[in-house]
Amino acid sequence: MGWRALVSHPLFALGLTLVAFQFALWLYRRSGWLLLQPVMIAMLLVVAALFATGLDYATYRQGAAPIALLLGPATVALAVPLYHNLQRIRLLLLPILLTVLLGGALTVLLTLLIAHGLGARVPVLMTLSTKSVTMPIAMLVTEQLHGIVPLAAVLVMLTGVIGTALGPLLLRWARVDHPAARGLSYGINAHAIGTARALEEGEESGAFAALAMSLLGVLTAVLLPVAMSWL
Amino acid sequence: MLKGLTWLLALQLAGNLLSALCLPMLPGAVIGMLLLFGYLLVRGTVDEPLNQAASGLLNYLPLLLVVPAAGIMLAGDAWREDALAIAAALVLSLLVSIPFCGWLMQHLTRRIERKAAEP
Repeated sequence: MGWRALVSHPLFALGLTLVAFQFALWLYRRSGWLLLQPVMIAMLLVVAALFATGLDYATYRQGAAPIALLLGPATVALAVPLYHNLQRIRLLLLPILLTVLLGGALTVLLTLLIAHGLGARVPVLMTLSTKSVTMPIAMLVTEQLHGIVPLAAVLVMLTGVIGTALGPLLLRWARVDHPAARGLSYGINAHAIGTARALEEGEESGAFAALAMSLLGVLTAVLLPVAMSWL
Repeated sequence: MLKGLTWLLALQLAGNLLSALCLPMLPGAVIGMLLLFGYLLVRGTVDEPLNQAASGLLNYLPLLLVVPAAGIMLAGDAWREDALAIAAALVLSLLVSIPFCGWLMQHLTRRIERKAAEP
């Protein structure tokens, strides 16, 4: 009885999220292991706790709304590091545009070729094409492409989590140490989760990640439906 | 801090309004970010309350992302049949694209920086 009262308290979801995140952060710093991305570990802990307590996601989401609601203002706030790095961005405008366009197109093409080669169906392919952009844009575009909208949200999360976990290793392997280049790659390949990681590396890297994420988001919203109608 | 937070909220709401009125393909928060960026360009400086609110929020960006990430629970069965194709496509495309984007940007950046450093 006491157990049910605890789980059904409105603060349970909030508390669960805070505890899971702090544990994940502690583990990440303690282990120094880049694959243990705090967002991914905290997400797994939350999902495990929800299964264990029998709470459904809709109820959890409602309880954790105070945290999730701040995501909007945080997105708006990304304009600030962007502005702080205005000089650098102006100087590097052409490389930024080229990399976002070529990199974005390469990711979409590779994803579609591999998935098509392995026999994925058309609605799944349409959904996969949006996986690199932030969730709201991915869901909007998937809707336009007649993909599977809840699946789009999941693929976006997976891409962000996997991309952020692999990013540091792959970038080290490719000898990419320039903060602007690292940031841009995080932003193109792992949207908001990659941007969070890039901000940890430094403000310049974070600014370029935020820029890449927003540019790719806007370009995807405008160009992808057109491009997919040709295929 | 509070003043800065109020600004961020107001800009997001303005973004939502614009999204509903004339830009349905972009979410309100993204439009809000573009509005703030435009405002900062015109203003020419970031005032302290806004700076504090922005860096305070962005410090906790990973925490804010945990809630939507847990939505992975809702995946359902739509993708079970194609799970292998999806997993391979996600991981393999990242393996190529992350080093490619980083390498291309670094290559182009270094060229411009070298040119700028020359007398």
